[in-house]
Amino acid sequence: MPTADTTTTPTAATRRTRGEAIVEARGIGKSFGELEVLSDIDFRLAPSEVVCVIGPSGSGKSTLLRCLAFLEPYDHGSVHIDGQLLGYEERGGMRVRARESRIDAVRAPVGMVFQHFHLWPHRTALENVSEALRLVNGLSRRDAEAEGMAMLERVGLAERAGHFPESLSGGQKQRVAIARALAMQPRVMFFDEPTSALDPELVGEVLDVMKQLAHDGMTMAIVTHEMGFAAKVADRVVFMDQGRIVESGPPETLFRTPRSERLQQFLNTWRERHID
Amino acid sequence: MFDLALLWETRELILQGLWNTVWICFLGCLVALSLGLVLAALRLSSPRLFGYPVACYVELCRGTPLLVLLFLLYYGGPGIGLRLDAEIAGVTGIGLYGAGYFAEIYRGGFKSIPKGQLEAARMLGISPWHALIRIQIPQMLRLIVPPGTNQLIILVKESALISIISVDDLTKNATTIVNQTFNVIEPYLAVALLYWMIIELIARGGYALEKRLANRQPRHVAQPGDTAHAHG
Ligand SMILES: Nc1ncnc2c1ncn2[C@@H]1O[C@H](COP(=O)(O)OP(=O)(O)OP(=O)(O)O)[C@@H](O)[C@H]1O
Ligand SMILES: [Mg+2]
Repeated sequence: MPTADTTTTPTAATRRTRGEAIVEARGIGKSFGELEVLSDIDFRLAPSEVVCVIGPSGSGKSTLLRCLAFLEPYDHGSVHIDGQLLGYEERGGMRVRARESRIDAVRAPVGMVFQHFHLWPHRTALENVSEALRLVNGLSRRDAEAEGMAMLERVGLAERAGHFPESLSGGQKQRVAIARALAMQPRVMFFDEPTSALDPELVGEVLDVMKQLAHDGMTMAIVTHEMGFAAKVADRVVFMDQGRIVESGPPETLFRTPRSERLQQFLNTWRERHID
Repeated sequence: MFDLALLWETRELILQGLWNTVWICFLGCLVALSLGLVLAALRLSSPRLFGYPVACYVELCRGTPLLVLLFLLYYGGPGIGLRLDAEIAGVTGIGLYGAGYFAEIYRGGFKSIPKGQLEAARMLGISPWHALIRIQIPQMLRLIVPPGTNQLIILVKESALISIISVDDLTKNATTIVNQTFNVIEPYLAVALLYWMIIELIARGGYALEKRLANRQPRHVAQPGDTAHAHG
């Protein structure tokens, strides 16, 4: 679908590894106390692939993304990022939690965008975007801000660089958050309901940025309730319910000919809500 | 009759007391502010290791009158080989006591920062240490200015207790003047006024800081044209 063969982003390396997954989760399970939230999930993201995750509230979509990023440790199975095991390491035949620095290193190719933006309110838009470049990549303030400006331009917010988050609209905040993640040059981006906290009229500007990203060949996993967007942009849609992946396939197939009753129900409910 | 001449005659004692109160409070508050920050930061960054000890410390400070702590340090210290000058005992007492309160104030500040901000930092590869000093502490400090100012004021007022362990502070010297001249009103009113001035200064400092931190306007930043290089 979104071809990677446009001029800008996919690097030679990306093309070479095509076919190998950037994110590969096998049999992951996660419980909060007694509550099993994910069970036996297999999830794979190939380079430049865009996957939308849909499903009813509480089905475990956020938890899946968070486990894939190890913001939440998974209990079973494995997550590999670029071939490296995320979050754990073998020590004396046992699996133990890896050191934080190791976790950071393995998930470095992953960028994340949250429903509620989570910008740092005491920093300007530009500072939000350039902070990690300075702290993590060790760039000088000058270089970091030049790079940061480039990212803000990419999301169309260069002229808001000096503004604090409180004086930005929701849509602008989310675009700054996207720029902040992009600044670290991720190879894959996770979005957890990036437009769910926005006023309806602001959803479009954020989706446009994401479409452009997809078009540029970014690998993305997107939890969303925007079915129209999923239908247009996703290579594959994954439907989750009660902690399991129930169905997965190209959007045309999934939306036109849902096989499972639960997906049919889910789509019907969605249609009822959106066609009136 | 209010006898101004009496105050003039005893000015040296009053000024000495003022000076002692000021520097002892200053150092004591400095200890309280910084030790409190260390305690709160320890508790925040590894609750499993430090959560309980710090909580105990806080409860101890809250449950013990400052005067008792001062007695312990000054009179009880020698018993365990700790011989402190009265002034140093005063600084230490105010510092240790205030640290418990400040640790709790800081904790409140830290707690009101949404966890997601730290997750965002983690996802960018920012280390917990950097997140603490660049993201958590600056925001926490903004939040705690009003309660922090309040706590400083309380500490300065409670510092009058160091007069009981024989520090020549404002309160003690006022009492000395009273005993020498049998005039009660003038010396105590004079020191009341001086305490009030110190406290007013702290309060104004607090307001100024609060305003300064809150009113940050959009900063001018270099536009793409001015920067060294801009990526397409
Ligand atoms: N930290 C947590 N502690 C305990 N339970 C949790 C935690 N996080 C999520 N859960 C539970 O796990 C289940 C799945 O939550 P999750 O947030 O992953 O669902 P979701 O599909 O993202 O839902 P939504 O569409 O509402 O965002 C829910 O029942 C939720 O209550
Ligand atoms: Mg969710």
